[in-house]
Formats: sequence, C-alpha cells, structure tokens
Amino acid sequence: MTEETIPAGADADKKKTEAKTEEKSEEKSEAKAKADEKKADEKSGDAPYRARPEQPLISLKGVSKSYERGGETLKVLQNLDLDIAKGSFEALMGPSGSGKSTLLNLLAGLDKPTSGTIEIAGKRLEQLGDSALARWRADTVGFIFQSYNLLPVLTAVENVELPLLLTKVASSDRRKRAQTALRVVGLEDRMSHYPRQLSGGQEQRVAIARAIVNDPALIVADEPTGDLDRQAADDILDLLEKLNKELGKTIIMVTHDPAAAERATVQLRLDKGALR
Amino acid sequence: MTLVSLAAKNVLRNKFRAVLTVMGVAVAVLTFMMLRTIISAWTSGADYAAKDRVVTRNKITFVMPLPKRYVDQVKATPHVKTVTYSNWFGGKDPKHDREFFAAFAVDHTTYFLVYDDMDVPKDQMDVFQHDPQGAIVGDLLAKKMGWKVGDKVTLTSGIFAREGDWEFHIDGIYTSKSKAIDRSSFMFRWDYLANDPNVQRRQQGQDANVGWIVSRVDNPKASADVSVALDKAFADQEIQTESQDEHAFNASFLASFSAVLSAIDIISVVILAIMALILGNTIAMGVRERTNEYGVLRAIGFTGGHLAGFVLGESALLAGVGGAVGIAIAYPFINLGMGKWLEENMGNFFPNFSVEPNVTTSAIIASLVLGVGAAAIPAYRASTLKVVDALRRVA
Repeated sequence: MTEETIPAGADADKKKTEAKTEEKSEEKSEAKAKADEKKADEKSGDAPYRARPEQPLISLKGVSKSYERGGETLKVLQNLDLDIAKGSFEALMGPSGSGKSTLLNLLAGLDKPTSGTIEIAGKRLEQLGDSALARWRADTVGFIFQSYNLLPVLTAVENVELPLLLTKVASSDRRKRAQTALRVVGLEDRMSHYPRQLSGGQEQRVAIARAIVNDPALIVADEPTGDLDRQAADDILDLLEKLNKELGKTIIMVTHDPAAAERATVQLRLDKGALR
Repeated sequence: MTLVSLAAKNVLRNKFRAVLTVMGVAVAVLTFMMLRTIISAWTSGADYAAKDRVVTRNKITFVMPLPKRYVDQVKATPHVKTVTYSNWFGGKDPKHDREFFAAFAVDHTTYFLVYDDMDVPKDQMDVFQHDPQGAIVGDLLAKKMGWKVGDKVTLTSGIFAREGDWEFHIDGIYTSKSKAIDRSSFMFRWDYLANDPNVQRRQQGQDANVGWIVSRVDNPKASADVSVALDKAFADQEIQTESQDEHAFNASFLASFSAVLSAIDIISVVILAIMALILGNTIAMGVRERTNEYGVLRAIGFTGGHLAGFVLGESALLAGVGGAVGIAIAYPFINLGMGKWLEENMGNFFPNFSVEPNVTTSAIIASLVLGVGAAAIPAYRASTLKVVDALRRVA
C-alpha cells in the first residue's frame, strides 16, 4: 500500500500526532547533537563535529556515494570523514533521504563508495571483491533490521545458527552457541518457536541473537525499534545498551526515534549527505 | 542444521506448490517413459531378432509369394542348416470380429526347428504333428480369446476363401522367453491350406506358393553371405528374391513406420521441455518471493554462489523427487497395466511392452539435468542480486 492510499481519519490523525512527536523529538535531539558537536569542537579544533578517537575501529575518509537514476547522478553522500571508536554506541539520525541508510550500508560492507576510503578493523572495504566482502561481513558484522528479517522456515535457534553455517564451527558447537546467544537475549524458552509464533519484540531479540552469535566486532542496526511498541522498543534498546556496555560491542544504529537515539553514547546527524 | 538441510527446508516452504510441482514432474517423467517404451517395444522385434535366421521374400514386396520349389534350393545353399516356410493367412475369429492377430500357415515339420525359441510342450507338439487341422497358438492370444488345448476354433480368411469356414484344433500353446517372439500368433499346418480344393483350384495345377522362406544358418556371421548367395541364385529366375537376416528384415519393416517413431521421439522430448519450463517458472516465482530473504542471507555473509547453490539444489531436489515418483509409478503402470494390455491386444506391434533399463536411466538423467537447467536463470539472478536492492524488496 502506498502512502497515498493510507485511509484518512483515525490513522491519519495518529500519523499527524506521531509526526509532531517526531518533530519535537528531533528538535530536542538536534539541540543535543549541536551541544555534543560544540563539546567535540572544543576538544578538537580541526574535527568538523567531534574528536577523532585514538584507535578508531571505523575510519571513513572523503567518502562519497552517488547513484545513476534515469540518466541523472544523484549524490547521496558527499565527501564524508568519520571515525568511530571501538566500543562506542552511535545513533545515526537525519530526515528521510539524508543518506542514513546509504551510510549504514557502506559501514556494513553491503555497498561500496563511489569515492573515498572505508577502513574497518584494519580492512579497506572498497578494495574487497564481492565474495571477500561477503566473508568479511560474515566475520565482522552483525545485522539487526527493522523488520527482523528472520527466515520463516527456521526455528528461533536455527535462525540464530544461520551465520555459523559459514564458519568452521562444528555442528554440535553451532547449536550450543546459538542457544547461548538466545539465552543472552532472554529467549531460552522460545528456541524451538518459529518466527510466526513470536511477538515482534521476541522476533527482534532473535535477530539480535543472530547478530551477536558470531561475536562480530561491529553491530549495525537499521531502525531496530521502528516496528515495535514503546515497551518492546525499550526492551530492545536495553539489550543493545547491555551489548555495548557489558560485551563491549561497537553499535551503529540508524533511527528516527529520539528516545532510541538518546540511549546511544554518540548521536550523529546526517543532512543532505553530510554530517552536521 | 547444515547448508543442505537449509535448502531442503526451503523446498517445503510452500508444501502445496511443492507437491504440485513434484506431481507435474512425475507425470512428465511417466509420459516420457511411456513414449520411450513405445519406441523401444516397437523396435524390440528388430533389436532382439535372431541374427542366424535369414528371411527370403519376393523382391517386389513381401505380400507377393515365392514358388515353393525355391525352398529346396535354399536348403542346398552352403551354411544353411534348416529351412521352413509360411504363408500369411489373414485369419479372423468370427466370434471376435474386432480382434486382430497374426495367423500363419507353417510347415509343421520344420517351423519350430527354425523358431526354436518358441516353446511348445512335447506332448502337444506330438499331437500337432499328427493332426492335419492342428494349430499352435501363443499363450497371450489363447488367454485373450479364451482358448485352451483341445478346443475347436473356426476362422475366416480374407485371403483364402473356401466353402465353409476353416476349422482348427488347438493342439498346443507356445510361450517364449525371447523378446523377439510375438506370443499372440496363430500357427496351423501349411498342408491343411495347400490341400484345400479351393486353394488348389486357384493354383491351376501350378507349383504351390509360399509367403516367405526362413532359413537357419550355422553361423550368424554367415547370414550376410548366405543372403547374398540366395539372391544371386534366384537372380536369373522368373521371381527374384530379397534375403536379409531377421534383424535387418524387421528393421526394414520398421523403417516404414519411421515417421511415427520420429514423431513419438520428438513428443517425448517436448514433454520434458514443458516440464523444465514449468519447473523453471516455479523456481523463478520462489526466487522472486524470497528476494528479501536472499538479501538477508547475502548481508550476513552468504555469497552469490551459496544462493545459486540453494536455488539449483532446490530445483534438482524437486525434479529428483518428481522423477523418482514418476519412475515408481511407471513400473507398475507400464509393466503390469498398460504393457500387459498392449502385449495381449497388440502383440504384433508390441510383443514385449515393458520399461527397459536404458529408458529408466534416461528418465533419471533427464529429470536431474532439466531440473538443474530449469533453475539456471533463476539461480543466476539470485546470485547476482545487489544486497542493498534485495533488502529493500518487501517480502
């Protein structure tokens, strides 16, 4: 269903309310981001928005990304420089079309920049071929999607086990590790359930377990609470915080939700393809 | 869980569709095997024909006769061990007007020596040798017509008319283990035909005629030389002959049906092509529906090769299971049902209608090759999906 066909009335009102809330929240977080930016500038004179970490896990230099659409070149990201420290929890915000998802895709090795360099955990991603990039993702990145994206034919534990099929971990150990990951997200009693038998929040927990089962250096989350109610969203954010603080996972999260962004240690704002 | 079990789980994702696809493949394989069996059964007479039997017929056409005196000349030819002769009788049972079967007048003293792959119990053969109206019939014909040893049978002939019908005594029933032997034939004594006043009147005192002469040679390798020698010997006589070993004779007979056999051959291949298209469409539909999931798999580290493997494996599994079901149905359906009926009712064309091992092998190979071939394009598309585009696709 397209946006034009969404029925008027209650739904439309709800949408307006949500939009207002989002605007307010965005204003608040924008103010916070500006404050952060100011603090960062105070710490480091030449950095555009914050201090460069001493040992960045992720380092982007002069990254641009453009697409060809109908004979026209659409510049989505422009000359981006960004360093992300190991163990940080960063929220990536910005209006629709600002390039958040494109940046996340580049950081996760799902896409390659048109120009510039991306170095993550010592690897230059733009230099890797398709298969090498797939192997790198399997070893380095855990993914959390807005729509959970679990395979419906697999049980919770099988979904979590999926990334381990690409490793040399023995079959029996794979199952044990998947079960441990599900215990970490509090779903030890739902291991044999299929996605259709789980609530949205539980599905997202399974997705988180799948993202951490390989013990990746980086977790990327694309609006992980976007499809959840407030309570379930808070639970998921608690879990992400726990992964960051207790397990030291580096997390980059795209979100429109200011409440979610506030849980991150750093909020990045993208606008028209540039970090503000 | 393994990569293979993951692929297998995907096959059963839509059970109804999977079952329909498997059944579609099974029906296509069954039809393919049926058509291939028609071809192999039709040509089995030639394939299994004895190479040490030489058939000599009128050079113009096998429906025109030869003088009986040629038999002695054939007998005198080097390498020839035994000679027999027969006439096509064109017999019908007036009680079973629509039932067609081959009826021959055969030389009772030599026929079963030349055709020693027709098994007749000794006591029945003894009766036949001493009964001028005796007949030996195939077991399948006897079963179909409800005849048993000792029965009196009346036939009419479209070729040899007489006052009153031809009466025969069923003295024996032959069976055969040879796939070249039609077990639905009716053989009676040639002298019964030749001594009939009407037939003799028609000969007008001339030498009797025989339909064709069959000689048994002492060495199959000598068949070609004997054939040449026989035709050469009769070349300057009033009726020339054409001699061939039984295999070549049957093959030349089959050649007249080559257009029909080619058509069946082409149809069997077309059916497999249709199967491949149906399977390809099912797989392509599955790939389209699962684009988002393929995006997820690619994101978490699966390569394009993995996805191509899943798609090809899924297709090969569906085709393999469908093929196995088709083959499992084909054996009882063809060998016990349709084959038995054809052997009993059309034994002249299909003396042995059963699935040959090479037909089964072709069906297995064809299902797997077409299964993989059908998925080639969907597999390529899945393997070359851009991860970012695939993830955007709503499942």
